[in-house]
Amino acid sequence: MLLAENLEFSINGLQILNRVTFKVRSGETVGIIGPNGSGKTTLFNCISGFNIPNAGKIVFKGQDITEMPAFKRAALGLGRVFQNLGVFREMTVLENIVVAIEGRQPLAGTFWPWSRRNRENQKQALSYLKEVGLAGRAGDKASSLSGGQMRLLEIIRTLAFGADLFLLDEPTAGVSPKMKDDVAHLIIRLQRMQKTVLVIEHDINFIQKFCDRIMVLDVGRVVLDDTPENIRNNELLHEIYFGAGKEQENSSR
Amino acid sequence: MDIIPQLLVNSLIAGSIYAIAGSGLSMTYGLLRILNFAHGHFMMVGAYFFYLTSVEQGLNYPAAGAFTALAMLVVAVLSLKIFIMPFRRYSTMLPFVTTLALSAILEALVSIVFGVNVKSLGSGLGMTSYEFLGVFITPIQLIIIVSSLVLMTVLAFVVHATSVGRYIRALAENSYAAESLSISQMKVSFWIFTIASLFAAFAGILAGFETNMQPTMGNAYTIKAFAAMILGGLGNIWGTIAGGYILGLLENLSIGLDFWGYSLPAGYKDAFAFVIIVVVLLFKPQGLFNRASRQA
Amino acid sequence: MDYIIHLLILICIYLILAQSFNLIFGLGGLFNLAHVAVYAIGAYTTAILATEYNFGFYACLIFSALLAGLLALMIGEISLRLSHDYFAIGSLAFSAVVSALLINWKSLTRGVLGIPGIPRPELFNLDFNNIRNFLWLAALVALFSQAALYVIFRSSYARSLRAQAEFELAALALNRDTRLIKVFSFFIASCFAGVAGSLFAYYLNYIDPSSFSLGEMVSILTIVVVGRPGSFAGVMISTLILTAVLPEGLRFMKIDASILGPMRQMLHAVILFIVVYWNRARLFPVERVV
Repeated sequence: MLLAENLEFSINGLQILNRVTFKVRSGETVGIIGPNGSGKTTLFNCISGFNIPNAGKIVFKGQDITEMPAFKRAALGLGRVFQNLGVFREMTVLENIVVAIEGRQPLAGTFWPWSRRNRENQKQALSYLKEVGLAGRAGDKASSLSGGQMRLLEIIRTLAFGADLFLLDEPTAGVSPKMKDDVAHLIIRLQRMQKTVLVIEHDINFIQKFCDRIMVLDVGRVVLDDTPENIRNNELLHEIYFGAGKEQENSSR
Repeated sequence: MDIIPQLLVNSLIAGSIYAIAGSGLSMTYGLLRILNFAHGHFMMVGAYFFYLTSVEQGLNYPAAGAFTALAMLVVAVLSLKIFIMPFRRYSTMLPFVTTLALSAILEALVSIVFGVNVKSLGSGLGMTSYEFLGVFITPIQLIIIVSSLVLMTVLAFVVHATSVGRYIRALAENSYAAESLSISQMKVSFWIFTIASLFAAFAGILAGFETNMQPTMGNAYTIKAFAAMILGGLGNIWGTIAGGYILGLLENLSIGLDFWGYSLPAGYKDAFAFVIIVVVLLFKPQGLFNRASRQA
Repeated sequence: MDYIIHLLILICIYLILAQSFNLIFGLGGLFNLAHVAVYAIGAYTTAILATEYNFGFYACLIFSALLAGLLALMIGEISLRLSHDYFAIGSLAFSAVVSALLINWKSLTRGVLGIPGIPRPELFNLDFNNIRNFLWLAALVALFSQAALYVIFRSSYARSLRAQAEFELAALALNRDTRLIKVFSFFIASCFAGVAGSLFAYYLNYIDPSSFSLGEMVSILTIVVVGRPGSFAGVMISTLILTAVLPEGLRFMKIDASILGPMRQMLHAVILFIVVYWNRARLFPVERVV
């Protein structure tokens, strides 16, 4: 489904991604962990198309998307959930879903506000909201939701958009512990739908529950790529996260 | 080809005014991240205060100058407190809109008090031209050129040789620091804005002598000061000053020279600044003198 | 009575002008200070075509809209290359260039002398020199424009426009070509501004560059800010209040005619300032980042 080859990205002389290479099979769930500044979000930005890598290749669904404009990648089914919450706060909760559903429909069908297509979209949007328990808030402005609710909204919005690959950037950031379970359940539902998921997280306990694989990024390099059990027991990981000496110096860049 | 020396002198005169005006704007935007749209209107207000005291009330120039400086101080403080400070922390665009409103208010007030007709400060310090090396120049024009050079020298001294100047240079290096200022630093910012406004007033007075003045002159001068700043690079005071002189040069050359028998009608002179802004913003937004910084 | 009709006609023109600016600025978040320039292009197109070439009403209207839209494509392209505050300055400079052209391209526009003698439209054998008839025409055009703009405001396109205004990257991630969306908003809004300009030229029978100054742009901005940017109904109401009620209020205060203009300008600016102050937290939201 997704292939990254020797991705390099640097800005202002600082090398953020350094020959990053990995493969993600369709239906897999891969966790991405690593210290702050290791390039995780930048990696997602390169995949989404917000940053163009200096070198390397990205292949999505068999197509080379390395230089493709971001919105065209979205059209291919590449979805993104943002670290800082990407819901449209000025729109209503329902509109957030509708705007996603419309994303892959031709403009002509949805332009007229009172068309049948629009009514169908709204019905469909409502059913998506039901799945995350937000149907009752459909008419409220999205800014009135809690952090956890916004996160659920954003993920279900990406599903409504029709994404096949989900890039989740720290989905539990700003989410209350109570709602973290809801987020986990939603991700598991995505898995059951055969969606491919990449999750950036700091909370290892959270992601090891449902990840097939975990990649560890450090200073822009993939240093580990293995099953959750093997990762947990790995000494290198401990050094990267808690360690002293050389690794610590490197990871503080 | 013997009009070139005259053109160059004219460029120097216009450039001096733009340089002084632009340096003030560069101080406020480069150091304080305040987009003061009313800068040109400060020039206009300064000119009209001077007109009020010297022409209407008949005071001598030093007295008129002192009164104008004091009045501009009040205007600057009020503008800062009412139109700028309450809005700064929300967005850099807000002060732009509020100073836009401020400029309209200043223009309206001056129109009401003085009327909309064109006025001039000239007549007094001798409008008689003297010929010097084939170039015609009046004493006033000479004063404009000399005073601007003096002002720039004083500015250079302050910026590079005093502790206040050190703070200014630090601020210029990292203008984002301007957004989180401590109390004592607030005072320096207040002084920077006031000095910039005094510069503007001085430039306005020079313009009042050199050309003429009317309440609506603020817009054009604000845009020209912006053009100087954009040419020289935002936040770069010396670049802006250079930009001011370059603007003066471009304006005068454009209408003075023949391009294959066609010369630009004089009316388009002002449009030059506007075109410059658009073109430079499109192709070299960092100005001619700044290094390009990579946008994320 | 005639004065009321005059005010109503002005309201028709400003409704089109303000609501179209509302599309660009209120929905799209783009601070386009060149809106008054495309308004001017519309007015001058009609003026020249009607006086020099005897074009009819429909032709003038269409050409005014199209030429304004074409100019807007340039402004749109500029907006794609500049960040928000640079674009504010850039659009202002662009507007000033257009203004300078209007003043100096004397062979085309007669400069500050303006273009007099613009005839009222000839349609349906009605005499539009009678301002009651002209009011019907203006109201019809305004009604159609408001209806069209209302449909646009409620359309899926508007949702895309609002999405990119709030968080461009998220809009891109939802398959929105934000560049195209922005440029199109400039185009369609400016077509309407061109129509407003055409009406203006037909109504006053005379236009000159002074009607398209920065002060005019500030008035448009004030109307939209007061009515709340993005709110269709709000801008309709504020247009009514600021165009009609305010001048009437000034008249009651028996202001001397010579300072009426500056007083109006100052009043608009003060109102703009007060409303901006009230809304200062919401007016220019911080750009959302990844």
